[in-house]
Amino acid sequence: MTPSFDDFAAEQVTPLLRYATVLTCDPHLAQDVVQEVLLRAQQKWDRIGSVDLPHAYVKRMVTNEYLSWRRRRAAKDVALCMSTLESVTPPVADTTHHYDEREAMLQRIARLPRKQRAAVVLRYYENYDDSEIAQMLGCAEGTVRSHISRALATLRTEHLPEPAGAGLRFGEGLS
Amino acid sequence: MNDTEQLIKDALGQLAERTPHPGPTLNALRRKRKQQRSNIFLMATAGVAAVAVLIFAGVVASDRYAPPDANSAAAALMPGTGQTVDIEYTPHWLPDGYVETFRSVGEETTRVWVPASAKDVDPTLQTGHPRVSLTSLQALPDLSGWLETSVRGLKAWARTVQGQSAGPTTELVWQAQDVLRVSVRGQEAGQQTAMSVAESVRSDTKISFLTPFSLDGKPAGDVWGSTPSRWTARWHSEKYVVTVSTSTPAQTSGTPVSVRGRQGAIVADGSLVVRDSGLWLTVSGDGQSTDDLVDTATRVSLQHMDHPDTEWIGKGL
Repeated sequence: MTPSFDDFAAEQVTPLLRYATVLTCDPHLAQDVVQEVLLRAQQKWDRIGSVDLPHAYVKRMVTNEYLSWRRRRAAKDVALCMSTLESVTPPVADTTHHYDEREAMLQRIARLPRKQRAAVVLRYYENYDDSEIAQMLGCAEGTVRSHISRALATLRTEHLPEPAGAGLRFGEGLS
Repeated sequence: MNDTEQLIKDALGQLAERTPHPGPTLNALRRKRKQQRSNIFLMATAGVAAVAVLIFAGVVASDRYAPPDANSAAAALMPGTGQTVDIEYTPHWLPDGYVETFRSVGEETTRVWVPASAKDVDPTLQTGHPRVSLTSLQALPDLSGWLETSVRGLKAWARTVQGQSAGPTTELVWQAQDVLRVSVRGQEAGQQTAMSVAESVRSDTKISFLTPFSLDGKPAGDVWGSTPSRWTARWHSEKYVVTVSTSTPAQTSGTPVSVRGRQGAIVADGSLVVRDSGLWLTVSGDGQSTDDLVDTATRVSLQHMDHPDTEWIGKGL
């Protein structure tokens, strides 16, 4: 039986927002993208609601919306800044030294070209394999491997190895 | 999985923890769906009306049709072009119960919202009532004495001033695609309200409205009111001020004058007043002759008076 759109939206809005937040690195943009997609999904719900996996279909719509949104609004884009993220939800407390590394990695991921970033998110956040990513992005598996390979090369290049003793506060562990 | 890949997973996991609350998205979705249903209804109504008009024009009036004289009122009622004004920015959050009562367009665009209980108060008067406004400015104002802050990660400036109003007014200015200003008056937590409104402002090139009238192709600059059927629009230049209103002016009788195919009057303060299409048209101008006032009134083009674009008046988000 086809679920009602309202039930679908209520159930899926949080997972979609989470996916869009990771994809866009911008909670505000994530809200805009998910809102736009759900609005369109509602208009075509007779068809979308009857497919095997409506949530997978709508998730793909979110991916496409993000990619086309970025193209449409490229001239208007504002460089991502962590204060944007923190203005929506403050970072979760983390007392380990890995926190800074993750923040730095986030900044680097945010600077990746959009398709590379989408491929990275689908591989390392959604745990999709190459064929699933290819299906989601509408490209060949070889292209997916190329996107991920280039993204990793960029992220590795910029990922400086942690120096010995990193994580120790000044004056700690030196005696 | 190597260290870099593990770090990517950790970083993305951390980012996912910052997912925004779904409430605003669901609320915005409900609002837009409601708006779409309303638009579909309006289009259907307009379609039915258009068909009815075509049938009437073709079947009933075809044997006695004559083109209107260029100076007649009928000619002036023909909708012109170029009066649609883009409202490029809209907030998606306002204090509870606020409704829109004023729009001003021109070099700068301003929208004003007030508590529904105060929507009958003339927004063009400095009454000190609570209000929230959003203005698209030409340039940043003099920011001496403003506190630096940020809106959606963009540099912004805020200040709270005590003007002639009863309470302080908080102003928040930031540079997005355009320079935008949110002004909040009469709120206990003005700064917080201003920031919440500003954070919710989005660019939307699809939002536009048709001003109720134009003069020489230039749309009325200010439109305000309390309901879609109770409004006033004003056009002004250095020489003239023209208003079109659903409300009766303070004076309507005086020296009779023929204007727009109707009888109007030059009232005590020298203004020309005439009732046309159920609306009151007033033209005033210091030292302008009656002929000049009549000529100006004749050049006024009213827009779709059967269904003026005033549905936004008295509505919230």
